[in-house]
Amino acid sequence: MRILVVEDEPKVASFIRRALEEESYAVDVCADGQQGQDWAQSIDYDLIVLDLMLPGIPGLELLKHIRKSGVKTPVMILTARSEVDQRVKGLDAGADDYLTKPFAIEELLARARALLRRAGGVPTGVLEVGDLVLNPVTREVTRGDQRIELTTKEYALLEYLMRNAGRVLTRPMITEHVWDLDFDTFTNVIDVYISYLRNKIDKGREQSLIQTVRGSGYVMRADV
Amino acid sequence: MSQASIRVRLTLWYGTALALILILFAGTIYFVISRGLRDQVDASLEEAASVAIRTLGEHRFGPFLIFEDLSQNFPELALLDKFFQIFGPAGQVTIQSANIKSREIPLSQTAFQASLKGQATFESVRFDEGVPFRLLSVPIRHTERLVSILRVGTSLYPTEKMLQRLLLALVIASPIAIIVSLLGGWFLAGRALMPVNVITCAAQRIADGDLTQRITSPRSSDEIGRLASVFNDMIARLEISFRQIRQFSADASHELRTPLTITKGETELALRRPREADDYRQVLESNLEEIDRMSRIVDELLFLSRADLGEIKMTMSPISLDSLVREVQLQATILGQDRQIETILGTVEPIVVDGDELRLRELLLNLVDNAIKYSHPNSQVELSLRQIDAQAELKVCDHGIGVSDLEQQRIFDRFYRTDTARAHASKGTGLGLAICQWIVDVHQGTIQMQSSPGAGSCFTVLLPLRAPVV
Ligand SMILES: Nc1ncnc2c1ncn2[C@@H]1O[C@H](COP(=O)(O)OP(=O)(O)O)[C@@H](O)[C@H]1O
Ligand SMILES: [Mg+2]
Repeated sequence: MRILVVEDEPKVASFIRRALEEESYAVDVCADGQQGQDWAQSIDYDLIVLDLMLPGIPGLELLKHIRKSGVKTPVMILTARSEVDQRVKGLDAGADDYLTKPFAIEELLARARALLRRAGGVPTGVLEVGDLVLNPVTREVTRGDQRIELTTKEYALLEYLMRNAGRVLTRPMITEHVWDLDFDTFTNVIDVYISYLRNKIDKGREQSLIQTVRGSGYVMRADV
Repeated sequence: MSQASIRVRLTLWYGTALALILILFAGTIYFVISRGLRDQVDASLEEAASVAIRTLGEHRFGPFLIFEDLSQNFPELALLDKFFQIFGPAGQVTIQSANIKSREIPLSQTAFQASLKGQATFESVRFDEGVPFRLLSVPIRHTERLVSILRVGTSLYPTEKMLQRLLLALVIASPIAIIVSLLGGWFLAGRALMPVNVITCAAQRIADGDLTQRITSPRSSDEIGRLASVFNDMIARLEISFRQIRQFSADASHELRTPLTITKGETELALRRPREADDYRQVLESNLEEIDRMSRIVDELLFLSRADLGEIKMTMSPISLDSLVREVQLQATILGQDRQIETILGTVEPIVVDGDELRLRELLLNLVDNAIKYSHPNSQVELSLRQIDAQAELKVCDHGIGVSDLEQQRIFDRFYRTDTARAHASKGTGLGLAICQWIVDVHQGTIQMQSSPGAGSCFTVLLPLRAPVV
């Protein structure tokens, strides 16, 4: 899951980023309205967290603009003003949710989860592939009765694969949704992380859930 | 009727005044005319009497006077509007003109008594039929003895008829005149007061909270027009200050929310799970920074709102600006050390102004603080002080990020910070220059900036020199 945070106050952007990263999302931060608009249009984010008071392009304009150009990514706006007016304008312009500063970190994370779930079309929130179960709220992963411990990155990769179970995911797709802009695309990092995951999930079991599709990428499937 | 509208009251006042004037006028006319008519009648009676007496005298007042003689000498008798009677000294009729016919008009007691004393008498009498008469009785005396009494009389019927007509005309015409002018007054008062109604409606809408409303008055130079334009000016000023207050509180809450968001966010994030000691330390440091920022905002806001209310005490005394500049330069050197920004002195002339030392120091420090904050590392800030005519010119120049022409107009506004400034230095409240402006204002000075983006800025403060002691 890759999230864009458009926020000009560096310290606010910084703690939002750290909080989201702790939840194993890939996060890009951008402090300028124009740049935020460019990124939102060129990268397929899963969620955009948007501050309304921005230098360059105001947040509302940015939102209207990307919606007009067809970006469907869920957007959560952050407003410093609690005026109803601002929220209504934001929601009218195409925002999916809003938070008023100052906000509670847990609330930000919960709302982000809800927006991602809604966009992914998973109603319960618990992801299942075969006997592999992932709970995004508790971040617990189990296969059969066995609990599996994952690093942040491994978790992010697995969540993305499971959300798109049955679909072939190419390496660029995986890069876009799991890694942020600092990621160096020339390395074989994805293959390395896939092998880590295989070690923890599929090793020593009858059924391999992560399958390689030669020449394209990977797919997660319970049936052979 | 304390609730009656001005229109009703105006009309009623007007009507009452008009009615009084009309009554007075009608009364006067009636009085003058009736008096004039009676005088005319009396004068003709007197004239007739004197002619008759003269004629009688020619006949030596003898009892042999005959009416034919009388009518011959007094042709007016033919007109039949006068009659004559002559009474003997005892008051009995001796002779009377034919036109009196058989009517009995005896000599009244008053007239008889007056005649005995030798005085003539005018009387008005009315007989049963209602025909009024005017009578003049004149005693005719010979050698102090009353010989006879001459009476001349005439009917007042035509005079009375005329006065009745006049009265009728006045009684009918006056109310009509009053009603017509009341209607006219009501209409005119309504017209005159219409702009007041317009103003009232506009004021009502404004009172309902719509400060963008203005009064449109077609006439601009009359009383109502002036009222409307004064009113409009007032509303315009109200609108501006309302907008400023709203903007100010919105800005203030926004500026306070940012540090609150940061401290809350950082703290909650730290508490989500156990961390290294170093992480906690970083959070605490960040929080301290934000707390400092909030207290600075609160202090500066408090200062400005007290300044707005005129509650800041100023102790004016002669201040030697050159030594103040030198002191501030020392402080600035320390401020700039971290980023290798040197503060140097240009020309510094000895100058004394009248002012509050604390505030002037604050002014200088604010400007120098900005100059350092918005400078690039390894650059210089220059302070200079010169006398130009009767003013002290204080300059603070830097080679920093500068401000674009468009933004220059707004940097003295409360909370205004340029985007470049926000990106360059996160510490800042946007209130410093607003405070500088206030300090310069209370010292009767001016403050200005010249700047080119990317190259640097110069702030110039002009203060009046200390007035020479007389
Ligand atoms: N020396 C300077 N160079 C460039 N910009 C300046 C300078 N001084 C002031 N400004 C601009 O004016 C704004 C208002 O200044 P000030 O009221 O002192 O607020 P603050 O210093 O807290 O930002 C600053 O945010 C900045 O944009
Ligand atoms: Mg400042």
